[in-house]
Amino acid sequence: METVRTQDVSVNDLPWKIEYLPERCTMCGSCVATCTFNAIEAGMERRSITVSTAEGPEPTQRHLATPVIKQKNSVANHCVGCGMCEKICPNKAIKPVRNPDGRENLLARSTGKPIKRGGRNNLQQERTFDKIVIGRISQMTDPSLDSERHTFDILAPFGRVLPPNELPFSTQNGELHLNGQIPPVRWIYPIIFSDMSIGALSTRAWEAIAMATAYLNEKHHLPVRMCSGEGGMPVKLMESEYLQYMIIQIASGHFGWNRIIKAMPKMKVDPAGILIKIGQGAKPGDGGLLPAAKVAEHVQAIRGVPKADLLSPPNHQGLYSIEESVQKMHMSLNAAFKFRVPVAIKCAASATSVSVYNNLLRDPYRICGGFFLDGIQGGTGAANEISLDHTGHPVVSKVRECYQAAVKQGRQGQIPLWAGGGIGLTGDAAADAMKMICLGANGVFIGKILIQLCGCIGNEHGRCNSCSTGLCPTGICTQDPRLVKRLDIDKAAQNIVSYILALDSEMRKMMAPIGNSSLPVGRSDALVTTDRAIADKLAIQYTC
Amino acid sequence: MYRISTIEGNNRMSTQDLLQRINDALAAGETEFYVEASGQHDIGGPLWHPEDKPLKFVVKNPGQRVGSMCLPGTEIIVEGSAPADIGWLNAGGKIIVRGDGGDTTAHCAASGTIYVGGRVGTRSGSLMKHDPLYDPPEFWVLKNCGSFGFEFMGGGIAVVCGYDSEEFASVLGDRSCMGMVGGIVYFRGKASGISPKDVKIAALEEQDIAYLDGKMDDFLASINRPDLRRELNVWSEWKKVVPLSYDERPKKAAVDILSFRMNEWVPGSIFGDVCTDDYAVKGLVNTDTYRLRVPAWENARYAAPCEFNCTASIPSQQRFNLLREGKVEEAYRLVLEYTPFPGSVCGAVCPNLCMDECTRQEIDESAQIGALGTYSADMTLPKPEIRTGKKVAVIGGGVAGLTAAWQLVRQGHDVTVYEGDDVMGGKLEQAIPRSRLPHDTLEKELKRVQDMGVVFKTGYKVDRDKFNTLRANNDAVLVATGAHVSRVIPWPGHERLVKGLDFLKAINRGERVPVGKRVIVIGCGNSGMDTAVGAYQMGAEQVTCIDVQQPAAFAKEIAHVEELGGVLLWPVATKEITAAGIVTDKGELIPGDTVIISIGDTPDLGFLPADTLLERGHLRPDAQYRIAEGVYTAGDTIKPGRLVDAIGAAREAALAVNAYLTGAAYEAVQKAKIPAEKLTKAYFKKCHTCDLPQAGEDYTRCISCGTCRDCQMCLKSCPETAITRMVHEDGHFEYVTNEKKCIGCGICAGVCPCGIWTLYKNAEPINMYKTFTKAQ
Repeated sequence: METVRTQDVSVNDLPWKIEYLPERCTMCGSCVATCTFNAIEAGMERRSITVSTAEGPEPTQRHLATPVIKQKNSVANHCVGCGMCEKICPNKAIKPVRNPDGRENLLARSTGKPIKRGGRNNLQQERTFDKIVIGRISQMTDPSLDSERHTFDILAPFGRVLPPNELPFSTQNGELHLNGQIPPVRWIYPIIFSDMSIGALSTRAWEAIAMATAYLNEKHHLPVRMCSGEGGMPVKLMESEYLQYMIIQIASGHFGWNRIIKAMPKMKVDPAGILIKIGQGAKPGDGGLLPAAKVAEHVQAIRGVPKADLLSPPNHQGLYSIEESVQKMHMSLNAAFKFRVPVAIKCAASATSVSVYNNLLRDPYRICGGFFLDGIQGGTGAANEISLDHTGHPVVSKVRECYQAAVKQGRQGQIPLWAGGGIGLTGDAAADAMKMICLGANGVFIGKILIQLCGCIGNEHGRCNSCSTGLCPTGICTQDPRLVKRLDIDKAAQNIVSYILALDSEMRKMMAPIGNSSLPVGRSDALVTTDRAIADKLAIQYTC
Repeated sequence: MYRISTIEGNNRMSTQDLLQRINDALAAGETEFYVEASGQHDIGGPLWHPEDKPLKFVVKNPGQRVGSMCLPGTEIIVEGSAPADIGWLNAGGKIIVRGDGGDTTAHCAASGTIYVGGRVGTRSGSLMKHDPLYDPPEFWVLKNCGSFGFEFMGGGIAVVCGYDSEEFASVLGDRSCMGMVGGIVYFRGKASGISPKDVKIAALEEQDIAYLDGKMDDFLASINRPDLRRELNVWSEWKKVVPLSYDERPKKAAVDILSFRMNEWVPGSIFGDVCTDDYAVKGLVNTDTYRLRVPAWENARYAAPCEFNCTASIPSQQRFNLLREGKVEEAYRLVLEYTPFPGSVCGAVCPNLCMDECTRQEIDESAQIGALGTYSADMTLPKPEIRTGKKVAVIGGGVAGLTAAWQLVRQGHDVTVYEGDDVMGGKLEQAIPRSRLPHDTLEKELKRVQDMGVVFKTGYKVDRDKFNTLRANNDAVLVATGAHVSRVIPWPGHERLVKGLDFLKAINRGERVPVGKRVIVIGCGNSGMDTAVGAYQMGAEQVTCIDVQQPAAFAKEIAHVEELGGVLLWPVATKEITAAGIVTDKGELIPGDTVIISIGDTPDLGFLPADTLLERGHLRPDAQYRIAEGVYTAGDTIKPGRLVDAIGAAREAALAVNAYLTGAAYEAVQKAKIPAEKLTKAYFKKCHTCDLPQAGEDYTRCISCGTCRDCQMCLKSCPETAITRMVHEDGHFEYVTNEKKCIGCGICAGVCPCGIWTLYKNAEPINMYKTFTKAQ
């Protein structure tokens, strides 16, 4: 007799079920040994039965005890579907299968605390970009460009761009003179490797992205920039020439800035820029969150904190308005780098984004070097699931509205618009980037797809998303040396480099039919959609 | 010779009219044409003579696509220059342009020859092809080409002689040969911007020179420049462009991160100041330090349910293991380490708590542990080899006192038990019905205690003086006088009550105790049931047992009473005892001639010093079982309990006394019951009741919870053969893991029937990161 009770947790309550074929299994133990989530275990099963093999009823017992791999009936050890067991199994005997009847959402709150996880929004599966195509194909009237042979100018500004009439030029004796300093502007590749912190990422993963950035610049002359995230900067990187490819972030927690400031006298070059993070699209209102499990010694050192759950406040302490933000944060960071380094600001897309952008456009000090808008489909290393799934704002229409607001004032392009949050979610970052640019963005920033290129197997259908646990099976979002050392740093960097090289060709493949040699910023006439509502909202051509 | 001029006065002939005229003349048999054109397109092809005679055109001032789709047998000579698309889709004609050619000259030519005596424009030679059924197309240019030449060239031969082109950076223009996959382009002089991803530039080989040398005279003669032969004949000035073969083309972007990291990246690592990393890559499964988890063989870390539940902590799983190994005597002796009364208590009166939660119950039935005790009634242990000379007085000869004496004498102490009664054994002797405990078993076990060297002094009632004397004359005193004063509640008429313990003692003494026909027993515990049985023995016809709460007696004892005709009533509260019986608080009368009270007994501790701390009539020893310096206690003096409770406590108290006597520290052993999920029951075949073996053979069914049964399942299941069985000098065995082989899969833990293996998170530190603190 079994003694299970109705409220006991069973495998069918968990989000993933292990599908196991005992007849294929050789009990090599690899699946159990590799599972970082401790979700499976070895055990014995009784195959005992009373049978009759005689001509009449003549009971005999047939008894067999056989070893098997079992999934644990435990919410704390639930399978996340990472599939490492399936990957390692030599006999295809085991794999996780998504369980549509799981009750994880109810059971996981039994601690009386909200569910935390990493990854992206798992509910917003609809994507505006999947209903938009580049539909204006230059052919007979405007000759299209040949993507293979044409020289394209794939560059976007990072920094405050002054309109010609505001440039401090004067003419004397028929010669042009520049009077005074103009704001720094860096013309960079329109894809920024977005801010994932030291701490959120393993040392290897962070360094792989930094190395890929440098490689793309040095070997392929693609001026890609990487943003540090809010976990400080490696001192040795700041003291190297490669600092020129790095955008340093400051967020509400101000983590890591002691070492950044102390490194200033030793910097051989200026960083590419500074990004003031006000908010994050994946979890607006949640602030930064680094679980104690990931606060290893080096994180403690760089950030200057002990091992604990590290929470960045959801707002900057001491900033009370956009005006103040411009005055204080922009001014301080411009001043810190002697007004040579552009400073931009990143906010979560919101119902109020246009007002914020309008305020920035009026910036009388001309020191806001970019407006980064981060949408609801962005990723994160750790957040309350409620924030991930139920707060945020789609970024596409918001970027469009900001652009249109700037156009209305004749100020488009002065404070570059950068968009992120779900760019590359389906794997085609180039398409997302180009559509975003046609709608008015100067460039885009990507994050999640970078770690996916490194080997992250998480997705928007509830797979893995365990970045907050410290148990990342791929060694990317963990500081456990046993797991970090699973990551091949060279391969990770290589995958990113190769992807960006492909993306660069793909960007040309889309610019060629549009017929633009430079980025088609705001060329919304190039886009068409089969969705009436999208066409109306974005002011692009409806087609069917 | 058909001559035609296309301008008459101010009128220019249309392309269509000119071509139709030529077609008409051709149809009329004409083979030679002289065309004074004025920009008409497509002159010269595709045309053929009905009798296959060769056709010859001399053209002045043609429009675009002169010689387009030209067929073999047609020769076209353009005197002067021609605009775009000369020889477009040339299919075999010979086209000679003595001046310059326009853009896209020889575009898509696949056969024939095109000679240009000057320069050609952009994208010339693009998409040329070679049909293997025919000779390759040839395209010779005396001077140079515009940019983007030979794009997507798939076959044929192009020759750019670079004459009079010194002013140009590249005789092939910029960005030539993009997408070129076939054919060959010879050039003389400087060339740059040639698509490196598609082609390579090579020196001429013998057959290249042979071709150029062989064709040069015809070319120069055709364009009327034979004088240049000497100048163009310096083959060292020539090179050729050939496409990369399919295999030579990179299938993926050339990315070499490793070299970059080793040679150009921040030396060591950007995290070199806070992190030590050799960048070696670990797989998904590792041994040793990099295992995620490590197994531990923890034999007997957990108590089996039988051992845990037994208040005397008898490890019955170990008895069964010894029986399984054939060590029968050893098995039956083992219990004597814990109790001197396996026959009297375990095998007779004990409720056998050991069997209550036996894991085997979940398969079929509990292992037969109680009965195992009877096998040990005749066993004994060796006498102690060393005498300590320490003297211990034990006051009270019941199970507690005798157990303590048994343990202490075996430690080499001189132990005397002082019993107030005339016979040793306490309640076993005095109160337990003989029907439950065969007297000869008890006598044998008492004798075993005596034979071990314990001195029995019966009829020795201890008072305060005697106690002080004993304390003075001994190194330690252990008070185990039990509880012999029946509790009585002062209801009206309580003087009518018969005290249960006195009643039972009288029966066991062999006295005939008179009782009425109807007997009421107050209290439904085990003693109450013994009393009820005794009442029937003494001649009662109807016994009614009452209690204020649910009867606490074991089901077996209740059943015995009910078999005899007894009735249990509860909850019933007594208000008064009368001659007619009991009046309940509800005013009802339960008729009875004799009323016996059996609601527990309290100790009589008057012999202890006046300052002895008591609580509700019981002693309150410290955690060492000590009530005063050198004075210890165990059993019912502390609280009422079962016989096995007294045995367990007495053994612990004896250990405490021994520690005191030897100057060691006593610490009670904390038992932890093995978690049920650690055990693997799947191995065990269900045994139907009819098949149950004798208790002595029940080792077949015992799972051996928490204690290794040495089955070797782990050893033989380990996929990495990492487990070995080690036998130590003293004969005990151990299973050990070779960390160099172990991957931490935990199959050992999964297959272990006894729950010996546990898989722990690998706690071995890996010093990868560091936090430097400021130097002090």
